Amino acid sequence: MVAALAVIMVLYPVAVVALRSISKEEIGSPLTLEWISALFASARSREALVNTVIYTAGSTVLAMGLGVGLAFLSTRTDMPGGRTIGVLALLPMLVPPFILVVGWVAIADPNAGFINILASALMGSRTTWVSINTMAGLIWMTGLFLTPYVYLMVAAGFRNSDSAMEEAARVSGAGRRRLLFTVILPLQRPALLAALLLVIIMAAGDFIIPATVGLKAKIYMLPSLIWQNHASFPARPGLAAAQSLLLVAVGLLCIYFQRRALSRGGRYTTVGGKGSHPTLFPLGKLRYPLGAFALLFALSSSVIPLLAVGSMAFMRYWSPYALKPENLTWRNFNYMLFEYPQVWPSAQHSLFLAFAGATACVVLAIALAWYVLRMRGKLAGIVEYAMVLPLGIPGIALGVGILSLWILVPGGIYGTLWILLLAYVTAHIPVAMQFVSSALHRIHTDLEDASRIAGQAWAGTVRRINIPLMRPALIGSWLLMYVVILREISLVILLYNPSTIVLSVGLMDVWQNGFYPELAVYSLLLLALGVVPVAVLWKFARFGAD
Amino acid sequence: MNGLSVQGLSKAYGDASVRALDNFSLDFPADQCTVLLGPSGCGKTTVLRSIAGLIAPDAGRITIDGAVVFDAASGSDVPPEKRRLGMVFQSYALWPHLSVAENIAYPLLSAGLPKAEVARRTEAMLDWIGLGGMGSRYVHELSGGQQQRISLGRAMVAKPRAILFDEPLSNLDARLRERMRLELLALRQQAPFTSIYVTHDQLEAMTLADRVVVMRAGKIEQVGSPEEVYKRPRTRFSADFVGIPNLLEATVRSIAGPDLVVETAVGVLAARSWRSDWSAGVRCTVAVRPTLLTVQGEGRSGRVVRSVFQGASTIELIDFNGTQVAIESLGEERHDPGSTVTVKPATGAVFAVLDD
Repeated sequence: MVAALAVIMVLYPVAVVALRSISKEEIGSPLTLEWISALFASARSREALVNTVIYTAGSTVLAMGLGVGLAFLSTRTDMPGGRTIGVLALLPMLVPPFILVVGWVAIADPNAGFINILASALMGSRTTWVSINTMAGLIWMTGLFLTPYVYLMVAAGFRNSDSAMEEAARVSGAGRRRLLFTVILPLQRPALLAALLLVIIMAAGDFIIPATVGLKAKIYMLPSLIWQNHASFPARPGLAAAQSLLLVAVGLLCIYFQRRALSRGGRYTTVGGKGSHPTLFPLGKLRYPLGAFALLFALSSSVIPLLAVGSMAFMRYWSPYALKPENLTWRNFNYMLFEYPQVWPSAQHSLFLAFAGATACVVLAIALAWYVLRMRGKLAGIVEYAMVLPLGIPGIALGVGILSLWILVPGGIYGTLWILLLAYVTAHIPVAMQFVSSALHRIHTDLEDASRIAGQAWAGTVRRINIPLMRPALIGSWLLMYVVILREISLVILLYNPSTIVLSVGLMDVWQNGFYPELAVYSLLLLALGVVPVAVLWKFARFGAD
Repeated sequence: MNGLSVQGLSKAYGDASVRALDNFSLDFPADQCTVLLGPSGCGKTTVLRSIAGLIAPDAGRITIDGAVVFDAASGSDVPPEKRRLGMVFQSYALWPHLSVAENIAYPLLSAGLPKAEVARRTEAMLDWIGLGGMGSRYVHELSGGQQQRISLGRAMVAKPRAILFDEPLSNLDARLRERMRLELLALRQQAPFTSIYVTHDQLEAMTLADRVVVMRAGKIEQVGSPEEVYKRPRTRFSADFVGIPNLLEATVRSIAGPDLVVETAVGVLAARSWRSDWSAGVRCTVAVRPTLLTVQGEGRSGRVVRSVFQGASTIELIDFNGTQVAIESLGEERHDPGSTVTVKPATGAVFAVLDD
């Protein structure tokens, strides 16, 4: 039952998006191809298509370069501070992308950015060295935002690679460079390919950066245009659905190839003997320059923007001439936290959704993982496949699908917090499921059988044996769900209404009004709410598959 | 009636044409150790897990101490936690998040016994398995042999109706395996309990069993005391499984009750059979254990093909007119390949004539 519901839950949005994109009005109205053709006929849509391609390609290249480079440097070379850089490279996962956006606006805004203020001071007149309001600026932010995902997927492979294989290559006469390009990198090919496809999906479907700096710079992309086609006049939900369908198609294609890459990875399995520490590449003279370079990039994605946001939060107002001690103030905190009317309702909603959503995801994931791995039910294969698909569906497209269906249900859950919860659970259950099933997979069934024979019924066995053994992974996946739901915006931007506003949507409001110091405070609040449970539960949690 | 009984057990996995168990029936008498012996895939573990309630057979009936715990016909299936059994797993299956004492106390707590009694019986069990004072340790801090003892203690502590052993020693190294085998034997001799022991190791079967059941492809191949199975395998399969490589073609010479005299390539041998329908002149197969032939001054002569020194004994492969026979001797004497030797059966040796 649960399994069938879960399959329906994750599959219907795709069907609804497809149906909506060929329906003239709401679903049920006459069919038409006008939206599909408008996809390419409308100049704005065509422009967005081209921009999305450039943006996706650029940020993918940047993220892959940085992620693979940092992973290699920090795990396989004698670069100083490799371990620290490894931690720094993963830190951005904890930092909401909004911090990255606000931080880089503070740093690189053409008028009031710190870099350009410095430039003006050095040159004597108003000078603009860098501008975040360009395609390059967007790519820079997205590339930094996606780097940790690449790092996470490839660093483990580098770290665990079997030194015997490399020694064999060296003995066979391969130099270091040859070793790198003929053995080390090819061995990581499945992981590299999987990371590449994941990053393409995430870049193409990214909402926050195109919808903030992108719209400000008038660089239109599909996700931001989908939002505009829904939210601004004249609304064209049919076109939005067609655009979503395109994103979904790309995403599902990537997921298909990613799964194939990972399943073929079997023949590359090289997890070697214990304690076989791979040899480190000596960098020679480049040791310190490369170390500094890596540190700069690792800091660029979390610490530097965080500092920029932090300093912006204390500024009375934000302009090229505002960087003076007398402009420092607590006023923004006072205003945002105690006077701004939206902040507490949105924080309450967000906290409720993050707690309930994370809990629901983990509980459902336990049930589904049990169904697939232990009961091996009839639907087990379908459930496994269905649980992979949402990974390829961008949040905004999922939002379109959920909206298009539930808007038709009179007096239903549309316009309540429950539809937001439903959206979050739909989007995030696959990741929770991956965590939980890998944890359940590691529990030998003998441990459960032993408990049954020792006189514990099924429920008691799950409670006394499975849950305690899986606890670190359960806490880890709960924290991940919590943090991701708290910051999530692309899903809910189409589904919220003023009575169900959440923190991330509130941030969009403040962004559109252009109150940057207030925005900084607001985004720090979002960060703090996310970090607190992570800090509290950190030591009880385990992340990732190993 | 005490003890366990299974009747007509059948089980197929996946492809229904391949049966893991095929109409398997057997009684397991109380306080005896019955060893199910066979290669992997012969169905021995399926029998054990069916008795435990971990899998449901497709057909058949299982009773424990007279009470039906499984009956495919009536659809009754008592869950494992209600069958009051103990089980020792090959993987030990000790819970890593619980201490040694908590692992052992688990069945007692599950049975809802008062805390004081749980503590007392856990303490007593720890002493009995030689791990007194180690109750607060965690499982991963202990050696393989100690873990296996905890596993045994957990299986026995609640005084189950029977203890099921699923290849409990095969994860241990050879030396430890031998020690644990003797310890298990000592425990059973102290206080007999009903046990069903699954293994593919004939040495374990011979030492521990009151009764050995050789299994093949989901069916019983032979049942008997360890001595019977060892000395008088019924079939080629049994003979092979109890370590007899020499299966010689023979002709029956004379019959006196169960005793036969047969003519083989290595000479005239005294033999016995489980079948009684032999007559003189009939062809048959004799299982000849390599240790029951000796190289001596008189007897049938053959040519040495190979001589292998293996420490405690020497194995020599000898050719008798195209029939190659392995002979194992404890003596120091070895023969060069190509040399001719004469061979005769050891004094008093009676060989097994196979049914097939």
